[in-house]
Amino acid sequence: MVALGRLSLALALVLALYSAAANFYGARRREEGFIASGRHAIWAMAAMVSVAMAVLWGGLFTHDFSLAYVASYSSSSLPPVYQVTALWGGQEGSLLFWSWLLSLFTVLVALQNRGRNPEVAPYALGVLGLLAAFFFGMLNFVTPPFALLSSAPAEGADLNPLLQNYWMAIHPPSLYTGYVSASVPFAFACGALITGRLDDGWIRSTRRWAVFSWFFLTLGNLFGARWAYEVLGWGGYWAWDPVENAALMPWLVMTAYLHSVMIQERKDMLKVWNLALVGLAFALTLFGTFVTRSGIISSVHSFTESGLGPYFLTFLLAVVGAYTALVAWRFRMLRGPAQLESYLSREAAFLFNNLVLVGIAFAVFWGTLFPVLSEAVRGVKITVGPPFFDKVNGPLALALMLLMGAGPLIAWRRTTMRALARTCLSPAGAGVATGLAAALAGLRSWYVLAGFSLSAFALGSVFEEFRKGVGARRHMVAEPPARALVSLVAKNNRRYGGYLVHVGVALAFIGIIASSFFRTEVKRSVGVGQSFAVGPYRLKYLGLDESETIHLERAAARVEVMRGGRTIAALRPAKLFYRRPEQPATEVAIRSTLAADLYVVLAGVDDRSGLATFQVFLTPLVSWLWLGGLVMALGTVVAMWPNVRERAAIAAGLRPLRFEETGTATVAADG
Amino acid sequence: MIKGKIRMIAGVAVIVLAVGYLIETAIRSTAEYYLTVGEVRARAAELGGSDLRVAGRVVSDTVSWDPRSLTLRFLLEPTPAAAGQAPASGAAAGARLSVVCRGQPKPDMFAAGRDVIVEGRLVDGSKIEARQVLTSCPSKYVPAQEAKK
Repeated sequence: MVALGRLSLALALVLALYSAAANFYGARRREEGFIASGRHAIWAMAAMVSVAMAVLWGGLFTHDFSLAYVASYSSSSLPPVYQVTALWGGQEGSLLFWSWLLSLFTVLVALQNRGRNPEVAPYALGVLGLLAAFFFGMLNFVTPPFALLSSAPAEGADLNPLLQNYWMAIHPPSLYTGYVSASVPFAFACGALITGRLDDGWIRSTRRWAVFSWFFLTLGNLFGARWAYEVLGWGGYWAWDPVENAALMPWLVMTAYLHSVMIQERKDMLKVWNLALVGLAFALTLFGTFVTRSGIISSVHSFTESGLGPYFLTFLLAVVGAYTALVAWRFRMLRGPAQLESYLSREAAFLFNNLVLVGIAFAVFWGTLFPVLSEAVRGVKITVGPPFFDKVNGPLALALMLLMGAGPLIAWRRTTMRALARTCLSPAGAGVATGLAAALAGLRSWYVLAGFSLSAFALGSVFEEFRKGVGARRHMVAEPPARALVSLVAKNNRRYGGYLVHVGVALAFIGIIASSFFRTEVKRSVGVGQSFAVGPYRLKYLGLDESETIHLERAAARVEVMRGGRTIAALRPAKLFYRRPEQPATEVAIRSTLAADLYVVLAGVDDRSGLATFQVFLTPLVSWLWLGGLVMALGTVVAMWPNVRERAAIAAGLRPLRFEETGTATVAADG
Repeated sequence: MIKGKIRMIAGVAVIVLAVGYLIETAIRSTAEYYLTVGEVRARAAELGGSDLRVAGRVVSDTVSWDPRSLTLRFLLEPTPAAAGQAPASGAAAGARLSVVCRGQPKPDMFAAGRDVIVEGRLVDGSKIEARQVLTSCPSKYVPAQEAKK
C-alpha cells in the first residue's frame, strides 16, 4: 500500500507539471487540444492525490505503525473520528491535505470554465498546476508522508490530547479550505495579467471563490478561537500568538478585497490595488504556513520545527517576485482614474475601510515579525505581546466600525452633508442613545462607550437599509412586510447578505469589547464543603470524582453554582491525565448565557492538603462573539447563493465561446 | 481632476500616517526584551525593573508550590541549546534565576525539567517577579519510552 501511496504522489507531481505546461502552451498557441489534454491531466492528478489520501487514511484506520506518520500521530486506542482528523494532525499529512484540496479546487475551476473564459482560464489552470507542483515536490522530496520506520513500534505515540477535540477536528480543514481557495482568485489575476484582459472579467469569474475563501477563513478563525476558549483553560479566546495572527492576516486582506472589487466593478478604479490585494492575500496564506512551520518565530503553540522553512520562503519570494513583475509589466494598462470626487462618497468610505483593514493586517504583521526584525537590526530580541496588538488595533477597529456603519448610508460618487445627515439620523440616534444608556449604567471608559455606540450605529444603518428596501418594495408591489423582506433579499442577495455579515461583525465586536474590558477573575483554593463568591454567584466545592479509562485518568470536581440562595447549575470542571503521551489537560466547565459566561477551571488538587484550586472567569457577553460569527456565516451563505438574475446574465453574456469568436475581441482590446 | 487626485492622496496619507503613529507608540510602550537566562544574568544591571520574557528550563528539585496562596517558586537555568550558544564567559555559565509567581494557578504542563517562558520583572539581578509562566506545548511529542533512553 505504501508503494501505491508513493507512486501516486510521484505521478501527481508529473501530472501537475504536465497540466501546467500543456495549459500554458495551449493558451499561448491557441491549441484547444493541448488545453483539453491539460484538463485531463488535472483530473488524473486529483485522482492520484485522492489515492494517496486513501492510503494514508487506510494506514491510520488499520493502525499500521510501520508508517512513521501513523506511529507519530495516532494509536490503537484513538477514537475513530480522531483517526480521520489525525490525517492533518502532523506536518506531512497537513501538506498532503492541502495539496488534495488544491487539486479538487483545480478540478472545480476546470469544470466551471469549460467553454468559458477561453483566454484567461487556461493560464489560471496553469498557475494552479504550478502551485500544486510545489506542494507535490515537497511531499515527494522534503516531507514524505509515507516514510517507513525501520521497526514498527507496538503502539503509536498518539495524537496530541489538545487536538482531540471537536473544534480542533473542524478548525484546520476550515482554515485550509479558506487558504487554498484563495489561490483561485490569485491564479485568475495572474491569467488576466498574462493575457492583458484586465477588465473586471477575472474578478467576476472568481467573485464566488473569493467569498467562499472568506467564508472558510472566517469559520476557521472562529473555530480556532472557540477551541482556545474551551480547551486551553485561560478564559480567553485570542492571545495574538503568531499562529493566530498568521490566520487572521489573510482574512483581513480578503475582507478588504471583497469591498474594493465593488469599486472596480462600478467605477473602474483601483485596478492595481485589487491585484495587489489578491496577491497579498495569497502570499499571506503561504506566509502563514511558513511562520508556523519554520520555527523562525517562537510561539507558545509552536508546531514541529522542520526543514520546510527555507523551501516555503523561497517559493513565497518567487511567487511575490513573479507576480510583482507581472503587475509592473502591465502597469500602463492598469492605470485608471485614481481620484475621489468627494470624501462624502461610497468610494471614499470603501477606500478608507480598505486602508484601515490593510493597516490592521500590517500592524499584526509587524508585531508578529518584530522579534525577528529587532534582532536583525539591533541585535536584541524584543517582543511585543497582546498589549501591543490591543493598543494598535483598538482605535483602528473603532474607525472600521464607523466606516462599516456609514458606508451603506453614503451614496456613490458624492453626497451632500444635508443628505447624509438625513440618512444617518436614525442610525446615529441609535448609536448616541446606546452610548448614553451605557454611560448612565455606569460605564466610564470612553473606549467602551465608543465601541458600543459605533456598534449600535452600524446595526442601525443595516436596519435602515432593510427598512428602506422593504418600504420601496411595498410601494411598488403590494406585499405584506415579511414577504417583501424575503423577496428583497432574494432579488439582491449579494447586497443584503453583505449587510447581514455587517450585523454579525457588529454583534461580535460588542462581544469582544465586553469580554475584554469586563472579565473578572477569581482564584481560590478551597476544601470540600467550602464556597466562595464570583460576582453575583456563589460556588460551592462538593467533592472530587475520580475515574479512569485505558486512555486517561480523570478527576472531576463537583461544583454547585448558586445565585440569590437558589441552586442554578451543577458544573464538573475536570483535570485529565493522558497516559500516552503522559500529559495533563484541563476540561473547562462553562455555564453560558447571552448575558455572561461562568467559566470554571479546576486548576489543580493538592495531594497533601486536599485543597482544590479553582480559577473562575465571569465574562459578560462573550457568547455574542459566537452568535455574531454565526450571523456572519449565514450572511455569507446568503451572499454566495446563486442568484437567478445573475445566472441569466452569465448565460446570456458568457455562452460557450471558441477562439475564433473571441479573436476579434482581443485585437480590439489590444488596439 | 487634479483636485480629485489630491483629495485621494491626502486621504490615503492621513490613514497611513495614523497607522504608523499607532504602531510606533504602541511598540514604545509595550515592547519587552526576549532573553535567555544567561543574557539576563550578564546584563542584569541595565535590565533592573524592566519587563522581560525569559526563556529557560525549570531546575529539578527546586519547585515549590503553595496551593493556598497560589505561589509558585522555582529556579530557572539556561536551556542546553541556549547554553551552548552563549559566550563561555564563566559568569553566564551555571547562571540561574529565581522565579516567583504569585496568584496564578500552576500551568498544566509545568514540571521540573520543562522549558518555560517567564514573563515578568527583574527585581534584584537574579530574581524575577513573574506575572505569568508559559509552558510551551509543541504539536508533536517524543514518546515517553524514547524520552527516557
